[in-house]
Formats: sequence, structure tokens, C-alpha cells
Amino acid sequence: MTKLEEKLQQIKSKKRIGLMTHVVIGYPTLEETVSIVKTMAENGVDFIELQIPFSDPLADGPTIMKACEEALQKGIKVKDAFKLAQKLSEQVEIPLLFMAYYNTVFKYGTKKFCDDAKKAGISGLIIPDMPLDEEHEEHFIKYCKEADLKNIRVVSPASTTERLKKNARVADGFVYCTARQGITGAQKELDPQIISFLKNVKKSFKIPIAVGFGISNKERIKQIKPYADIAVVGSAIIDVINRSSEQEIEGNIKQFLIGLKI
Amino acid sequence: MEQLGAKVVPVIFGSKTLKDAVNAAIKDWIENVKDTHYVLGSVVGPHPFPTMNRDFQSIVGKEIRKQIKEADGKLPDFVIACVGGGSNAMGAFTDFIKEPLVHLIGVEAGGKGKKIGEHAVRFPTGSVGVVEGYKSYFLQNSDGQLQKTHSISAGLDYPGIGPELSFLHDKKRVEFVSIRDQEALEAVKLLSRLEGIIPALESAHAVAHAIKIAPKLSKNKTIVVNLSGRGDKDIFILTKAFKDKKFYEFMKDLVEAGI
Repeated sequence: MTKLEEKLQQIKSKKRIGLMTHVVIGYPTLEETVSIVKTMAENGVDFIELQIPFSDPLADGPTIMKACEEALQKGIKVKDAFKLAQKLSEQVEIPLLFMAYYNTVFKYGTKKFCDDAKKAGISGLIIPDMPLDEEHEEHFIKYCKEADLKNIRVVSPASTTERLKKNARVADGFVYCTARQGITGAQKELDPQIISFLKNVKKSFKIPIAVGFGISNKERIKQIKPYADIAVVGSAIIDVINRSSEQEIEGNIKQFLIGLKI
Repeated sequence: MEQLGAKVVPVIFGSKTLKDAVNAAIKDWIENVKDTHYVLGSVVGPHPFPTMNRDFQSIVGKEIRKQIKEADGKLPDFVIACVGGGSNAMGAFTDFIKEPLVHLIGVEAGGKGKKIGEHAVRFPTGSVGVVEGYKSYFLQNSDGQLQKTHSISAGLDYPGIGPELSFLHDKKRVEFVSIRDQEALEAVKLLSRLEGIIPALESAHAVAHAIKIAPKLSKNKTIVVNLSGRGDKDIFILTKAFKDKKFYEFMKDLVEAGI
């Protein structure tokens, strides 16, 4: 059983909701990324998405986009992501995943990317712009499988039932549900459309469901718990970084994570 | 656009060029896919949009064929179009792709120099990548990060190129050349003076290439240049570039007065 599978089983047996957090590699600096990830691992985070900065991050909102831009301006290279993953996987126990855009994978060489990610201790890949329809050309899913990496499929409320089923056939580890629409500000209840989407996902997939909806607080996590196995917190943590001085980052992230516990 | 009732939203991030506008359009579409159609005006983005755009634009080539037959009684020897993403080029070329005697030329933005960030020449400096939902040639570094581009014309200032144009390049069906900012400006001047037509700065690249090759051809050869846009929209860039004394001062006064 892989690290990621063990973690999923552990979450299930404790009947709790898992927590996946996110960092942009090299934001604010590579050194900070290391200590942020360690802080996360020490404070109850179950999985961490290490996003490799890309010049044109199509699936990201302004917060993460800006973080990518700054990381790239500081000269972060794809090889730094592998070095960092290597270093971190030796120091933290929880599964680490790479989140990247397909051009990063493609330019590196899809097979080599998968092999090197595995060697660096990565458990899975989240590549939101790699469509199933191109698998016969790109062989991305095949190389993931060969390298024993989980290929995390990303679905949204716009995914049709047919599309969900297609993804379910190749999905591995858990499925990542994303949607920026559906929840606004102080709304107490989950949008019924989101609930029916998550129910639909549950029907199509046999593996655990991770949900990222711009989740920024405990209330949100409580709301999604009946429908999800893992809550994903992304840009809210970058917001924490952005409002912290260098000395405060770890402390503030710790406080933020404690505040998420339900 | 506003006169026609459109709400115009400027792009505020990245290099604020065409690529960032494409990103913003696709992002908006991703978030509002249920009630929104993606109608980007170029042959880029995910399938089937490049082919849809090509089909809509292909009326241009059909009209060229009809008009040149009436005027000349034969097919043109050359069809020249500027290429940013490539919608006007695909529009002009599509009807002639299966006519081996019609030479098709795409003109890229040579900008102000050969260094990274000074031009938008995808051939031969670009390499294959997958960005903005399509696989094609892009100006990018070895990590796959898109590179900065420059062109005096906003429509050619773009690091990618429509996937079908890349295919036609690889099949050697379309020849690609480049024209620099300065040459495009000269073409604006010449066409305005001789024909009373102010071409868009994008189209001026195609005009400039026609001016370059025409003297080398025999008199019976026919060249069709696709004037894909009018220069009215470029009035501010042209004012700055030409610095015609009176008009420059007039525009300066207008700007200073807060218009």
C-alpha cells in the first residue's frame, strides 16, 4: 500500500474529513516553502499540493496566479520543484502531490516527469488541463501508472455525468472536485446545485472525494463534510502568507490550521 | 465595441497583452460555462474552437477566389496574411490549401529585434507546447514558461499560434516570414499614400511583405494581400510612431485635457 492509500484508509477509519493544503513552490521563497510545508505537516494536514509555478495558470484565480508570477520572477525552475520534493519527502511523513499545468510536464518529458516525481518521493499528480481525450497521444495516465503515481482527476459542476464516468474509469487515489461558483461569502448552507453535483460524483466514483470550493474556514469544512472525504484549502493559505511578515508566516499558518479543525 | 453595446473589460494581469486576454476569456468561460459561450476571435484555444473560428473566417478565402476570378480569370499566385493567433490567415488560406499552385505566406511580427521579448516570431524560434487548451508552437523557455513578446501591433503580440497553422507549417504548405515594426510602419505610409487605405498595423505586416517580394516577381504574377483590419484603431500608436508635428501636438493637447 502506498503512503497516499494508507493515509486515505486512516482518514476513513477515523470517520473524519481529511485536509489537503496547497503551496506555490518558491513563494514567497524556496526556504519559506520548506518551513511552510513542515508547519502544515506538523499541524494536522493530511496531504499537500506542491504547485509548480507556471506562467499561464489557467485554472487559478488571481491570488495563486500572482504567487506563481512572483515565484517565477525570483527565478524558480522546474528542477527546483524536484529538489524541493526530494528534500521534503525525506523530512515529512504525509503524502505530497505535485500540482502543475500540462505544459510543464510535457516540456520536461511526460515519462521522465512521472519517473522523476516518483523518485523525489511524490505520491500523485494533479494536472488540471490534461484532458482524457488526448491520452492516446500523450500517455500521461499510462506513465503515471507505470511510475506508481496517483493521477488525480479534476472534475467540476460543468462535467457531465458521461464525463464523470469516463474520468472515474481512470481516476486513482481520490478525485478532485473544483468549482469557484456555488458558494458566496456568508452563505450558511451549501448551494443545492453543489450538493447534487457532489452526490453525482459520489455515484460515479468509487474512490474518495476531495473538494476545493474556495474553502477558507471551519464552517465551510463542516458544510462539505457529509459529501466529501477531503477538504482542499488553497488560496486562503496564500492570503495568510500575504498578510504575514516573514517572521510571522509559520505562526500564522499554524493558527489558521488550528482554526480549521472541526 | 462600446457603441455596438459591448461591455469591454480590460485585462489587468500578466503582460496585459493578447495572451493574458485569452487567459482571462478562458477563465471566465471555465467559471461560467453553463451560460457562456467562448467566442474568442482567433483560431486558438481548445478543440473545437480553432476549427469553428476557421470555418467562420473561411468566407474571406471564398470571396478572394470569386473576386480574383472575376478580375483576373485565374487563381492568385500568392495569398499573404499576417499571423498572430491566425484567424485572418486561416480565413484567407483555407479555400486555397488544396490548390498547390497558390503560394500561401503567413507574416509574423519581427518586432524590434531578435532577442527574447523583442518579437513574436514562432517559426523557427518557438517549440511545441500545450498551453491555453491547445497543442502548437509557442515561444517558451526550456521549462515551458511562455516568453514575453513584442510587436507594434497588439494582434500579433502573442506567443502561440493556431494549431492548424502549425500543422500547415510542418507540412510545408504555408511559408512563414517576419516583418519588423519599422517595415510595417513604412507599409502603412505607402498604402495610405498610394491607395488612400490605412491598414491596421497587423495587416501592414502582410502589406510590407508584398512590397518586399513584388519587385522580384514577373509582371503577370498576382498577389492577394488580406487587409484584415483598418488602421483607425491604431491612431494612438501611429501618432506616437510618426510624430507628425501638428497632429502629435493636437493629440497631446487632447490627452492633457483629459480625453
